[in-house]
Amino acid sequence: MIPQEFEYSAPTSLEEALHLISDGSAKVLAGGLSLIPLMKLRLAAPGHVVDLGRVPGLSYIREEGGKLHIGAMTTHYQIESSALVHSRCPLLAETAAHIGDVQVRNAGTIGGSVAHADPAADYPAALLALDAQVRLVTASGERTLPIQDFLVDTLTTALEPGELVAEVIVDVDVDGATGFCYQKMAHAASGFAIVGAAVRVRRSNGRVSFSRVGITGLAPKAFRATGVESLLQTPDDVASAAGAVADGIEANSDLAASAEYRCQMARVYTARALRQALARIA
Amino acid sequence: MKVAGEYLLAAAPDRAYDLLQDPEVLARCMPGCDHLARTGPDEYEMRMKMVISSIQGLFAGKVSIADQDRPAGFRLVVEGNGKVGFMRGDGLLTLVPQPGGTEVRYEGEVRVGGMIAGVGQRLLDTTAKMIIKRFFSKLAAQVDGASSSGAGA
Repeated sequence: MIPQEFEYSAPTSLEEALHLISDGSAKVLAGGLSLIPLMKLRLAAPGHVVDLGRVPGLSYIREEGGKLHIGAMTTHYQIESSALVHSRCPLLAETAAHIGDVQVRNAGTIGGSVAHADPAADYPAALLALDAQVRLVTASGERTLPIQDFLVDTLTTALEPGELVAEVIVDVDVDGATGFCYQKMAHAASGFAIVGAAVRVRRSNGRVSFSRVGITGLAPKAFRATGVESLLQTPDDVASAAGAVADGIEANSDLAASAEYRCQMARVYTARALRQALARIA
Repeated sequence: MKVAGEYLLAAAPDRAYDLLQDPEVLARCMPGCDHLARTGPDEYEMRMKMVISSIQGLFAGKVSIADQDRPAGFRLVVEGNGKVGFMRGDGLLTLVPQPGGTEVRYEGEVRVGGMIAGVGQRLLDTTAKMIIKRFFSKLAAQVDGASSSGAGA
């Protein structure tokens, strides 16, 4: 279908882009993989679209102060194939490689994905497990939010009118002592996660000294399964810890998977992710 | 699609019952509602503009109330039609007195059809839950008197 008529701007600087969106009425276009289909179906009919495609300086991956900074317009494929991400933040590279197909990954961006806040998107699980932060900019300033505060609800973020996702900042795992894994049960047609579990673990003296578990697809928004983390005291606790992943969660339900089935798959995939992450510790 | 849940309101059952049937209160609490008018006994016409992220739909429809059993509960039927599809919700609300106020339990079925259901099936369940949650949190704010403006998301 053909979208409704709209005004189109293609700013060539960040200042210009922020000025164009400052009154909050324009819709920002990044990779276009969510917005354009919605516009073609006329489910979304923004009067003004601001395309970030020609804004320089929004696509980068760099290490700074023990963190990895990833520009909002960095594509999933760039993240998946970056040597820096592979060595410093392999969980994110592994997660990016699970998104859609290679064409999707060459167009879709990390900033667009987090701003859209699809409850079944892959990145949020990994970003929660990576204690990520999202840096937001406006024409007059900026702020940085932890990912769990940025993701408010289904398709809803803490982005204010006029605000733009500038970059995503993640923890760096330097020494190979951190095991990681993203396990996903993908929907057969869309590739979206029916459930996805992203985990990071560290061991010391036979015990699990650190763990992070991010879950997507199961609930209205991705969440950190702190119950699983606290139950995972030793590598032998994987089954019982993963068994708690859906406790207290009001699980999503759709034609592909009922709430009960999703909960069970979340337990299975969390256990798989934890086992593989523990096995990967150097 | 079945929906069910419960919310605690800090008001006695009689007051909660009145609030849940007060068109002005409902208009303020229903997300995106920009028009609600009485058309007959226990019948209202309504216009809603749902905006969720970049998705928006304009729905026109009606709300009707049946099986009144004050203050224990009633049946609420909401129907809406728009360019992007249609929706029909039919639910039973049960008001249970609690020490802190009233527990409002709801149980019902929501049917969504048309294009929005065809392409958005994956998101219907979470979206319906989010809309119900927003409704009750706004209603709770009305009860507390903390917010009388009806502004906000």
